[in-house]
Amino acid sequence: MLLFRSEEWVDKWCKRNHLEHGEILTINQVWELSKLWYGNRMSVDFHGRSIEQVAEVFKQAGLKSKFWYV
Amino acid sequence: MDIWDVRAFVYQHFADTTHAPSVDETARHFNLSNEEAGEIYKELNNRHAFFLEPETLSIRMANPFSGIPTDFKVHANGKTYFANCAWDMLGIPAALHCDAVIDAVFTKSNEAVQLEIRDGKVTNGELLVHFPVRFAHWYDDLVFT
Repeated sequence: MLLFRSEEWVDKWCKRNHLEHGEILTINQVWELSKLWYGNRMSVDFHGRSIEQVAEVFKQAGLKSKFWYV
Repeated sequence: MDIWDVRAFVYQHFADTTHAPSVDETARHFNLSNEEAGEIYKELNNRHAFFLEPETLSIRMANPFSGIPTDFKVHANGKTYFANCAWDMLGIPAALHCDAVIDAVFTKSNEAVQLEIRDGKVTNGELLVHFPVRFAHWYDDLVFT
């Protein structure tokens, strides 16, 4: 996942690398996702996530497009 | 001791030292042989608990921590960590539950930028992160993802 100043720069990067656009999130959205995804990562009880748990994290982060289908 | 204790040790080692423990260090910590510790590393790699450099027992990623230098430096708790990507640079303060100053580099333009996590909020909220690969394919090539 790469950091960009604007969508214009994402367009340039995708064209140069002959890639289709993926999903673009703001830093604020990624921060909210990070807290849900990584908030328990240091716990000794964290053993990974089931597909259902992944889907729930994306849902809580408001990520509902097909891009995030698990 | 089970393999998840090793996972927890690896993560705590990253948090404490900013880098991954070698197989030797992990073997010593758990009083295992290097071969036994290496097998556990491989099993945790297979389970996506962390990711080894191909054909080695060196930990490349224990997300959000990176085992190698990257363009995403996270200063937190008096230490400097490397994150794997623009998501993981926020993942480190999220995992450690702390404030952070992040030195990053914009893709394509290569300009430096600094962000801050303070009191649970992120500065420069207008910046963008591009996720190039659908979730269903994230683990096909994790370095590219």
